[in-house]
Amino acid sequence: MSKRHLLALYSNFDEAEAVVRELRNTTINGFDVNDDMIVKSPIEHPEVEEFLGDKPVYVQWFTLFGALMGGLFGFFLISGAQANFYMQMKGGKPIVPFPPNFVLTYEMFILGGVFITILGFLVCAGLPAKRSPLYSAKVSIDNIAILVNAEEAAISVLKAIFTKHKALEIQEEAGK
Amino acid sequence: MKDIREDIAWAKINQDVMKSLENPRKLYWVILFFALMAFGFGLGCEVYQYQTGMGVANLNNPQVWGLYIATFIFWIGMSHSGTLLSAILHLMHADWRKPIYRFAEAMTTFSLMTAGLFVMVHIGRLWQFYYALPYPNDRGIWPNFQSPLLWDAMAIFTYLSSSVLFLFVGMIPDLAIARDNMQAGWRQKLYTLLALGWEGTDRQWRNFRVTYLTIACFLIPLAVSVHSIVASDFAMSQQPGWHVTSFPPYFVAGALYSGCAAIITLFIILRYVFKFEEYMTLPILKKIVRLTFAIAMVWTYLNAVEFASVWYSHDQVSKDVLIQKMTGNYSPFWWGMIFCGSVVPLVFAIKRFQTNIPVLFATSLLLNLGMWLERWMIVAPTFSHGYYPWTWDHDQWPSIVQWGMVFGSFGWFTLLFLLFCKVFPSVSMYEVKEMVYHRTLHLKKSETAEQGAH
Amino acid sequence: MSVSNLLENWSQVRHEHPVNDKPHDPYKWAMAIDLDACTGCNACSVACYAENNLPVVGKEKFQHGQQMHWMRVERYWDEDGREFPDQGFQFLPMMCQQCEAAPCETVCPVAATNHTADGLNSQIYNRCIGSRYCSANCPFKVRYFNWYDYPTTENVWPAEMTQQLNPDVSVRGKGVMEKCTFCVQRLSAAKVTAKGEGRIVREGEVQTACQQACPTSAISFGNIVNPESRVHKQWAAQQVELDKDKQAKNEKEEGPGLRGYRILEELRAYPSVMYLERVRESAV
Repeated sequence: MSKRHLLALYSNFDEAEAVVRELRNTTINGFDVNDDMIVKSPIEHPEVEEFLGDKPVYVQWFTLFGALMGGLFGFFLISGAQANFYMQMKGGKPIVPFPPNFVLTYEMFILGGVFITILGFLVCAGLPAKRSPLYSAKVSIDNIAILVNAEEAAISVLKAIFTKHKALEIQEEAGK
Repeated sequence: MKDIREDIAWAKINQDVMKSLENPRKLYWVILFFALMAFGFGLGCEVYQYQTGMGVANLNNPQVWGLYIATFIFWIGMSHSGTLLSAILHLMHADWRKPIYRFAEAMTTFSLMTAGLFVMVHIGRLWQFYYALPYPNDRGIWPNFQSPLLWDAMAIFTYLSSSVLFLFVGMIPDLAIARDNMQAGWRQKLYTLLALGWEGTDRQWRNFRVTYLTIACFLIPLAVSVHSIVASDFAMSQQPGWHVTSFPPYFVAGALYSGCAAIITLFIILRYVFKFEEYMTLPILKKIVRLTFAIAMVWTYLNAVEFASVWYSHDQVSKDVLIQKMTGNYSPFWWGMIFCGSVVPLVFAIKRFQTNIPVLFATSLLLNLGMWLERWMIVAPTFSHGYYPWTWDHDQWPSIVQWGMVFGSFGWFTLLFLLFCKVFPSVSMYEVKEMVYHRTLHLKKSETAEQGAH
Repeated sequence: MSVSNLLENWSQVRHEHPVNDKPHDPYKWAMAIDLDACTGCNACSVACYAENNLPVVGKEKFQHGQQMHWMRVERYWDEDGREFPDQGFQFLPMMCQQCEAAPCETVCPVAATNHTADGLNSQIYNRCIGSRYCSANCPFKVRYFNWYDYPTTENVWPAEMTQQLNPDVSVRGKGVMEKCTFCVQRLSAAKVTAKGEGRIVREGEVQTACQQACPTSAISFGNIVNPESRVHKQWAAQQVELDKDKQAKNEKEEGPGLRGYRILEELRAYPSVMYLERVRESAV
């Protein structure tokens, strides 16, 4: 069972949307619309998310975890370090004073949040990524690309759909 | 007045911005040369001071802080408007920020780096700088977390690293464009590495959107906290003229003010040097000018509040410091600050000048001069008229070494900034496309609506 | 582990000093300076230079305000329309007030200045990175910064003078802050001797250099916890309490009728030096 990639380029979102809708409504053997299709676009376009259907984003959970951990770590690192510093009194203030520790905890909260969000972004978006088998530099200009991965049998059906919606160009992975 | 055309070809956006990486106008090299000279001079001053001792800066007891701390606040302040444009306006869906936020964000990063230098040149034993870092060691010795200076260090580290990451994440799609459009060479290798294999897939964009939004949400309170903490360096002390409750908001307003003025200056320079007339349009400039005017008035108000609260508090010592600022040796600078900070921005209220580039350029420079004077007038007068009578009227004039490093810092900032603009796209290509796309959609909608009405 | 340490000693790490707190025990070093006895001869200042290896910076740097006199004698006069206003001026010897809640301590980024168990405001030269925040926040401006590397500077200690350098006191390099220590080297030596003999330091056993040099005995110094000490008796007689930012005696309507006061007491730094006001014509 060998699978092949197919890439179609479109000049605007409406055409791409029509293709995606048609693919979602047709059952094609050897092609699963949820797993085997990727839409590439030059800009962030919320409609893409709409017509592709709900796909979850988990970055915010990384953020929550990172921020909480950053804050907790910050507070205990600082308070622990103050209690450890030969319990040295300064300026009539308690050895573990809350207002300064709050300020630093706040900063560590944000630091942890930002760092772990970035980590979450890299993990969730799968970056750094290997380049996909078919790519056109036109995507970085103004074209919208639809990349599918399908069984040999489904390729011709997919190609027909792509052509029907006036694909500018169709790239094909060489058969194995 | 031409705004960005909605029918501009997306390929042309790519081309125009990519061109800026290759052939800027000659002025670019002229500025770069002067920046290098200024930086070299500043570096020479620092080497001399490092070898000889802080005394060559002509600091003394009681004037232990000089231009270094004043200029440090200035640079920290300047960084705040990058965040204003990139984060606050992002949350508010202000599309006009899109062509200009990239360079503003770069300005944030580099002015923070410049501010960091002043922490270094200011301390007496630079070679022991690492004592201030909280690193675990077998003797259990830690820095003093009660010190506002340490909060500063922590806040600036957080702000700098978050800003760099924010700048980088926002640039990934553009780096991919650069990767796809660059001939083979070191640049292409660099862009390929930094683009992390970005291909604009739906999964990438989806996570990108959430990430960008999240970091923007973090950056706003962070930026506010950074300058409040810098204000705490003063407000947390006991000295008259510093121990002021309204300092944190006052500092934040001042920060946004000088940052916006700097954005106008850099906008005008970049627009000319990199031929960005098509993207950095006058209507956008007009919007920043109006924003700056509003912030200038907020600053003026907070200034007045500070003076009034000192005046009516009958805290005699603080009052004396204020009187001494107005009438003492520092009075020309103090009145200069009032003039540049509160009177000059009135130019922005005149519609005719809101798009007049030479006027705006000169005004924005004057505003920043005023803001620099403001920082100096916060730091210096308190030292020459503090609580203790022995300190009164010990005047101190900064030596050439201090001035040299202040000029050097401008050189260093300009150097970093210009190099950045030459190596990385300083106008966000994918976001200009988004902006253009949104406008086209908007136009289409209104057309359909019109047709429907007929 | 430091976090367990934190939890175990919770009450200790949260306690505040000096208000509503027991005084340092067995030692709390304090001073009293009688301005009526002070003649402004500057012997204290000179003694301090000799004892603490203070660099003599020379005219030019003095003019720049870079002098290092830990003990300085200030002059004040009334501007009451006299022909020579500085006629009849008064003196005020000023040095680090060893505050119980020192403003300089909280702001040091590297914890180079701390409150010691015997009530001093210590300065750790080796730890100092020279941010000078302590000086900026000192209400009395009694902290001095090493603007140059004085030990290697010419004429700071001319050749024959190096013989008089005090071996008990370290010489400070460039870029660190320094200030009056209440001659901590003498205090340490006395404490070590006393400890060896199983007792605490007796009154009069230890003197600061300035106290020792004062020809009119205007300066008294000692352990204020010891009720036998002169400094304790003076503070008690003047009704000046260490842990108050407002002395009860000043609240009386008829006025205190006592000479003792502390400088800038209202800032709540709780200085350890009490001054005895000069008896002036105008005050009689």
